[in-house]
Amino acid sequence: MYTLLSGLYKYVFQKDEYCVLILGLDNAGKTTFLEQTKTKFSKNYKGMNLSKITTTVGLNIGTIDVGKARLMFWDLGGQEELQSLWDKYYAESHGIIYVIDSTDEERLSESKEAFEKMISSDVLEGVPLLVLANKQDVPNCLSVPDIKTAFSDSAPKIGKRDCLVQPCTALTGDGVNEGIEWMVKCVVRNIHRPPRQKDIT
Amino acid sequence: MGLFGTREMRILILGLDGAGKTTILYRLQVGEVVTTIPTIGFNVETVTYKNLKFQVWDLGGQTSIRPYWRCYYSNTDAVIYVVDSSDRDRMGISKSELVAMLEEEELKKAILVVFANKQDMDQAMTPTEVANALGLPALKDRKWQIFRTSATKGWWIP
Repeated sequence: MYTLLSGLYKYVFQKDEYCVLILGLDNAGKTTFLEQTKTKFSKNYKGMNLSKITTTVGLNIGTIDVGKARLMFWDLGGQEELQSLWDKYYAESHGIIYVIDSTDEERLSESKEAFEKMISSDVLEGVPLLVLANKQDVPNCLSVPDIKTAFSDSAPKIGKRDCLVQPCTALTGDGVNEGIEWMVKCVVRNIHRPPRQKDIT
Repeated sequence: MGLFGTREMRILILGLDGAGKTTILYRLQVGEVVTTIPTIGFNVETVTYKNLKFQVWDLGGQTSIRPYWRCYYSNTDAVIYVVDSSDRDRMGISKSELVAMLEEEELKKAILVVFANKQDMDQAMTPTEVANALGLPALKDRKWQIFRTSATKGWWIP
């Protein structure tokens, strides 16, 4: 009887925990995206003033619950020197969100370089990848097709993993829900990386 | 407290002896470099920034008095961990003190700010090297940031 009840308790209250890395060059909008996500997906969360977000030189974290899944975000600093810290998180990641500043055409090749280095990692094989074309609210920014074209020769490296390029404006929240919902669907169905299980306390 | 007035944020400055904790405290408070002697015990000052008030505790860092750090942990909002970036030999000790500190239940909610200090020295490690040496990438459930600082020269760069 105890087993039955504890099993039921676990079934109802246990959350499957998935870790999602947020990467991209500095000033792409990673932290703004994370804050916007936290605001949209958690009740009672009083977000910080988005205009006051400064450069991340370390790690920001955030947790949201979507249905039975709990997503834990690691938002890492994007400056060149800090990129060497990225791979320390790969082994435990269930999903990757890569943020691109669609208004910064000059640094697009630099962003692509960092992107290729990241997806070439064996540790990340098969991990779902969400590419955010951020800052779409700015007139004359690069469109999703533009970015897809620029990144087209990365396709073999992306391989068979789930991949979506999503237009988004982190500042206003456009595209955030779509991106997160897609990510949840993908990490849940990816049987190669089972979730960490945690009871709610 | 509460709806009216602002709560003072409680900040601890920790790190090995000679890292520059006291110099940083007085840089923050009076904006000048003061001549310091090794701290036995603690210094505490109130620092006001914009409309925020911080109660900043600088605790002595010598081996014999490090065990007393924990007496000050409760209700801490943030820890500033100061590292002498040029002291490569003691980076390991600095790491184990940091790891032990972060395991404390009372500091579970505190955010971590690391100052890779003494960046004016030639042999100083870069902030990324310091982050790796301290094992910061192993921290998965705590917000942390690292800054390159030189308390004596007075600069702070994110």
